[in-house]
Amino acid sequence: MSNVESLPRRILQSIIGFVRGWIESVRVKKRDYLVAAVELILAGLTGFLVAGIVLLVMGYDPIWIYSVLFRYGYSSPGYLGARSAALMMTGLAFSIPILAGVFNIGGESQLYLGALTGLVIAYYTGNIWLGLIAGFIGGAAWGLLIAALRVYRGINEVITAIMLNWTAYYLIIYIILKYLPNPTQSHLSIQIPENMMLSYSSTFWLAVLGAVIAYILLYYTDLGYKMRIAGLSPRTAVYAGFNPRKAILFSMLLGGGLAGYGGALHIIGVASAFDTTMSTVFGLGFAGIGVGLLGRNHPIGIIFASVFYAGLIIGGQFVELYTGAPPYLSDTIIGIIVIALAIPYAYRMMINYITLLRGGGK
Amino acid sequence: MIDVVLDLLTNTFYMMTPLLLAAVGEIIVEKSGVVNIGIEGIFLLSSLSAAVSTFFTGNPYIGLLVGTIIGLLSGVLHGFVSVYLRGDQIIAGVGYNSFAYGISILTLIYLWGDYSGSPTVPKIPVIIINFGGGVSLTITPILALALIIAVLAWWYLEKTSWGLKLRACGEDPRAAEAMGVNVFRTRFYATIIGAGLAGIGGAYLSIGWLGSFTRTISAGRGFIALATVAFSNWNPLLAILGAFVFGFADGASTYLPILLQKITGVQYTAESYLFLTIPYITTLFVVSLIMKRIRLPRALGKPYIKE
Repeated sequence: MSNVESLPRRILQSIIGFVRGWIESVRVKKRDYLVAAVELILAGLTGFLVAGIVLLVMGYDPIWIYSVLFRYGYSSPGYLGARSAALMMTGLAFSIPILAGVFNIGGESQLYLGALTGLVIAYYTGNIWLGLIAGFIGGAAWGLLIAALRVYRGINEVITAIMLNWTAYYLIIYIILKYLPNPTQSHLSIQIPENMMLSYSSTFWLAVLGAVIAYILLYYTDLGYKMRIAGLSPRTAVYAGFNPRKAILFSMLLGGGLAGYGGALHIIGVASAFDTTMSTVFGLGFAGIGVGLLGRNHPIGIIFASVFYAGLIIGGQFVELYTGAPPYLSDTIIGIIVIALAIPYAYRMMINYITLLRGGGK
Repeated sequence: MIDVVLDLLTNTFYMMTPLLLAAVGEIIVEKSGVVNIGIEGIFLLSSLSAAVSTFFTGNPYIGLLVGTIIGLLSGVLHGFVSVYLRGDQIIAGVGYNSFAYGISILTLIYLWGDYSGSPTVPKIPVIIINFGGGVSLTITPILALALIIAVLAWWYLEKTSWGLKLRACGEDPRAAEAMGVNVFRTRFYATIIGAGLAGIGGAYLSIGWLGSFTRTISAGRGFIALATVAFSNWNPLLAILGAFVFGFADGASTYLPILLQKITGVQYTAESYLFLTIPYITTLFVVSLIMKRIRLPRALGKPYIKE
């Protein structure tokens, strides 16, 4: 009898404990959060400011364009969520390896591979779940190649990643043209039938599921802990008795796999097919770098960052429609935001200066 | 047979020029302790600005000049972020690449309403060496410039006291500072000069090679230049060999399908894309063969913090 009564209470107590712990950690790390917030806000403002100047130089009214961008970019939540799925996954594909000390800019081709394997498996088996799993495997294999070349041959992962990106780009165009042509529309590949496609909201929530699993793996398991240690200090990892190479391999397996899963989700949830110029998937992986940095390399932050970024992309298309200005604003804005995010030292100096001005320094 | 060899050489000389310029520039940058992986972005913006200025003036030499200046300005930005603001050099480079891609498409649409490329512009004239019988070798004067720059850079880095000071900043900035070298300024100038050389290479892509700007004009060549740096073990003279090897792969990827079509009479459509993977696979393969034996500048990529 007492057990039945105490169970809800115990759950309630553990929830209260968790919240208290969280508040405590926020209180302790107040300064860190402040720095993070200042960094993000300043970087974002810089991005929009510089892009605004570019627009002004080209003779457009930046305020009018930005108002269209924000009004329409975030106006249909379903589509917004579905478009953010792939970005969320490529964001993780950048951030998980970086926690283990690998700079993965190969999310682009890991996404391509996942999209391709996902499309082929889903199309020929008629089962989208198998397609999603195949997407993960395809991306993971491609990502593991980068990690293996770094670990066993000592090749800088940046060079490997770009070479693999372009190899995959041309290889997939070849495969689509040669083996997977669409019988009715010549500019497309084979297509997932409409009745098999995932709904927009389930596409989004399947992506969120991926992010949450990544979060738990990274922060609540032994493996994730070791990975993060190896990223912070490979030497500490060796002293503690585990191999930093394994951390690198595993982080790229997981990161590449998630990018591939994102590619499969994008095909099965949004695009339904490749086109022969790859414009349906082009840039989604590179965008992941910006998403990962905006999300401060944290899976939960990345969920929000990907929605923000997806809104910029969608809004950009409306900008063209309503103002006649070029639609590809997002790359420019995010590029500047990323440059601005690379200089945390500058923000720390700024905050120190402000506290000094206020006579503080406590 | 001889015409095939000469055609391959012509293509190789065409493609090795931007790689050599950017690689020599990056060697100077990295010897001073800074990494700039924004070469891809510099290629894009310099070739765009060269094409735009040539389009409006009709003079490709003005295009070359403008492209170089844009390269130098990119160096100022990267140098400021990575030397004085102690930014993460890799992330800044990635951000610059994305920014350059965005700007180049915005400009294309703004000026010509075209998403993929610019109209054709005049090119810098080439030198054609005739061997008689319709057999000839084409060389761009910018390749000669690149070779001279490579030799000069080697001489500067290895044989002058200025070069020694620059290398000291990349090996042990603290010791360099103790010897009276201004580490910040040296790194800053090295970054600007290196980016300027990449800018010449970028301008060459549009006004020396293709005769127009397309959004995929650099197609990873900025990163192949980075691979050339590793291949050359940070030696500008060896970079000539590296650029030749990677330039050969790049040139062959477009020349081989044409040659094979001529020989076999089969028209390639999808297969031509397969040939385009050659430079990237070659780069990966070559780099994985030699990468174990290289030695990086010791303070590479680490911001210098004065005490």
